[in-house]
Amino acid sequence: MDIAFWIISGITVLGALLAVTLRNLVHCVLSLILFFLGIASHYFLLRADFIGAVQILIYIGAVAVLILFAIMLTRNVTGTEGPRETLGVKWWAGSIIAGTMAAMLTWAIRGDQISQTLPGGDKATTSVAEIGRGFIGDWVVPFEIMAVLLTAALIGAVVIALEEVMKRR
Amino acid sequence: MTIPLGHYLILAGILFAIGLGGALTRKNAIIVLIAIEVMFNAGILNLIAFWHYGHYASLTAQMFAIFAISIAAAESAIGLALVIAVYRHYKSVDVDEMKSLKG
Repeated sequence: MDIAFWIISGITVLGALLAVTLRNLVHCVLSLILFFLGIASHYFLLRADFIGAVQILIYIGAVAVLILFAIMLTRNVTGTEGPRETLGVKWWAGSIIAGTMAAMLTWAIRGDQISQTLPGGDKATTSVAEIGRGFIGDWVVPFEIMAVLLTAALIGAVVIALEEVMKRR
Repeated sequence: MTIPLGHYLILAGILFAIGLGGALTRKNAIIVLIAIEVMFNAGILNLIAFWHYGHYASLTAQMFAIFAISIAAAESAIGLALVIAVYRHYKSVDVDEMKSLKG
């Protein structure tokens, strides 16, 4: 189990790094899918099966495809042309900020007692039925609000993206 | 499994820093959105890690993770629609060129 953590962590970090550094946009999205798969594998490793399945369905099935469509709608399909990325002062500033943040987080986490916590046996498991009962029980109000929010967001997205087409007619 | 909780927290911190660096350094608006997705996922990984290591008897962490994933999906739909609208206007997705607030 330990070796699985290190392999999946390596894949996840590699996917994230490639997703934000590659030049070709389509390659970026493919690396992003690798990253999402790594995160889903972590969820399976942590025995959160349902969250892992939701991660694959929503992120790889919906978000990645949405980003691919946005790339196709904003440039030619190969996606190589676009703003020239330069290794100027902006790149150095961003990298230094990100590196400092990673170092500070690592330092803070390592210094805290809670980071030594070990899992309490292999009891950690939640059935899908339990989650479903939660949705219609204690969590019904947030669940309904989430439904309204998603509907509003999708209608809003269509309105924003269609605005200019409506004006032209 | 003998991996302590700190390993997951540090992993999430590194992923968050990668996303932050991407969002700060890249010019392409779509890649900025991709970097924001990376940061979202790093945060949600923390929820599930804490659930596994301490509060596995309760549903709360998984519910929070599901709601956070839904909000991230709504955010990316809106963000990409905005990118498409901006592209129609400026004929570019370079975030450095979006300087004007006028319509």
